[in-house]
Amino acid sequence: MNSFMDLMAGFGTVLTPVNLLYAAIGVTIGTLVGVLPGIGPALTIALLLPVALRLDDPTGTLIMFAGIYAGAMYGGSTTSILLNTPGESASVATSIEGYQMARRGRARTALATAAIGSFVAGTISTILLAFVATPMAKLAVTFRASDYFALAVLAMVTVTAMVGASLVRGLMSLTFGLFLGLIGLDSLTGQARFTFGVPELLDGVDIVTIIVGLFAIGETLFIASRLRDLPAHVTPLEPAGKGFAWLSRADWSRSWRPWLRGTALGFPFGALPSGGAEIPTFVSYTLEKRRSKHPEEWGNGAIEGVAGPEAANNASFSGVLVPLLTLGIPTSATAAVMLAAFGYFDLAPGPQLFEKSPEIVWGLIASLFVGNVMLLALNLPMIRVWVKVLQIPRPLLYTGILVFATLGVYAVSGSIVDVFIAFTIGVIAVFMRRYEFPIAPVILGVILGPMMEIQFRRALLLSDNDLTIFVRRPLTLILLLLAVAALGLPHLPKLIARLRGRESAKRLAFSDED
Amino acid sequence: MTSALPPDPEQATPEAAPSASGAPVAGVVLLLAGAALLWQAVTTGIDNGVTLGGPTLAPIVVTGLWVAVALGYLLEAVRKRAVAGEAAGLTTWRTPLLLLVALVCYAVVLKYTVLGYVLATAVFVLVAARLLSTRPVREVIVRDLATAVALSLGIYLVFTRLLGIVLPAGVLPL
Repeated sequence: MNSFMDLMAGFGTVLTPVNLLYAAIGVTIGTLVGVLPGIGPALTIALLLPVALRLDDPTGTLIMFAGIYAGAMYGGSTTSILLNTPGESASVATSIEGYQMARRGRARTALATAAIGSFVAGTISTILLAFVATPMAKLAVTFRASDYFALAVLAMVTVTAMVGASLVRGLMSLTFGLFLGLIGLDSLTGQARFTFGVPELLDGVDIVTIIVGLFAIGETLFIASRLRDLPAHVTPLEPAGKGFAWLSRADWSRSWRPWLRGTALGFPFGALPSGGAEIPTFVSYTLEKRRSKHPEEWGNGAIEGVAGPEAANNASFSGVLVPLLTLGIPTSATAAVMLAAFGYFDLAPGPQLFEKSPEIVWGLIASLFVGNVMLLALNLPMIRVWVKVLQIPRPLLYTGILVFATLGVYAVSGSIVDVFIAFTIGVIAVFMRRYEFPIAPVILGVILGPMMEIQFRRALLLSDNDLTIFVRRPLTLILLLLAVAALGLPHLPKLIARLRGRESAKRLAFSDED
Repeated sequence: MTSALPPDPEQATPEAAPSASGAPVAGVVLLLAGAALLWQAVTTGIDNGVTLGGPTLAPIVVTGLWVAVALGYLLEAVRKRAVAGEAAGLTTWRTPLLLLVALVCYAVVLKYTVLGYVLATAVFVLVAARLLSTRPVREVIVRDLATAVALSLGIYLVFTRLLGIVLPAGVLPL
């Protein structure tokens, strides 16, 4: 009942004109960047951070950022269905059946089951978030420094093991991120580390610079190296058919179970440190395929293959917020940027945030309900607008990304060194893409590394340099053992690698054919 | 870095671009970089002393991990060259290189010349759009020009007038 009252107070926060405006701006920008290939929610939030600081309204800004995250999940489906180029990794599973539906003149049906499924999943998972948050925050109060250290280890290890096809490459990305996180003055003693005599490096490398380099610069340069294989053909929308919200009775009855199953998968996977939405969407895809009564349709546009993964990716977003808000532990790249955003406002997510700034926490949670309604409206009746967005010429789109990226780093820091650091990271990111090193572990390394080190040293300080502190506390020990176990969890990545292989093989076949 | 390598005839499949043997080179570069960083971390540790709760431990741990993982990656890349992950269809290094040069010039012009944000951005947009485009100039020049002017002016006005973030005005009377 307590959570319910808190949530109502949260609605009180959101339902003011200013915050509704922030939510509307957030979901619109989010859908836009979700639709546009090459720009995702992590980059968008990083670029908006400096602007948001000027506005000096933490609640509004965080509502906007949550809207961007959720909106990108909706928008990503449009691109995967109409273009067969997933806007971000969470939509890869959707593109397999979704694009097939679009090719067979069922684009509207696919978009509708994606949007309504996202709405259902978003709403249910936000209710779950609201009721899990308070007990989790209460539990989190009992966490000590050694537990936080173990938790950070667990989060890093699982994300690394689960993202991408190869553990070695994931670990390499993570290590690179950990290294970037070390650059600068040590926060406890003020000793300079890896600054190479460059004074600008003393403050460390800003997360905005790193994200701009990895995503904006890296992505654009990589695209530039393979311009000629870009698919540019947008599948046209068929005229709206009969049935409620473009779905026939049969479509509804085939969609609702995958929606619920997708939600049930997405929320816990998002809450666990498993790297956000990638895993649950593929698990949902596989599950629906195995349960399907129409096996012959798979590969030719089975509606369940869109309904399940889309629900899973939206549910995972609410799941991601559980550890982010209650423990301050990010489990996806975008969550890591959001954590940085909290930091910019001198807010530390965790149990204290629930006590000190309940209006921010509950305003944020309530805004997700409001945002979901807005997103449904944005994505169904206004779908033609987003189809137009998809037709933006690629050269101009990527040029625009570069302009905003340079602006984001330069205009704000005023330091050309920061710009060159971003370019350098961008060049590294091109090679990472070339050799298929995953990007997300870098960002988690940058954010979680320093957190981990500080908690490690704090724990040692409290225990008089006694290392056994990490095995004496049962909770710490369990978390560390889980981290070890996660390293030996090869089943899911293999499954995903297999699915990916199949999917990319299919895509190749199409480019030959089209 | 990889373009200098001769294509491996055995794995020259159409989707695994000309230089599929680049992964071991990447592994060597990673290993060398890691070793150099580890060396720096260890010498710093020797100079300042390494304690469990001190600031010199984490750099040694992280760079040590780097070296170990890079070694693992190198071994994997050498052992199964064909399997080592490589994004297919990388066609050219020329465009990204030119684009990078354009970016660096853009940043230098912004910082060290009086050209100003609007002009520098407009020129950069034209250059970058041209580099990224595969269509002939005359088909897209009007569109590119319009975008260049609208984007540079739009950003300048929004940031300086609405958000109060200072951008160099330069030679234009804005």
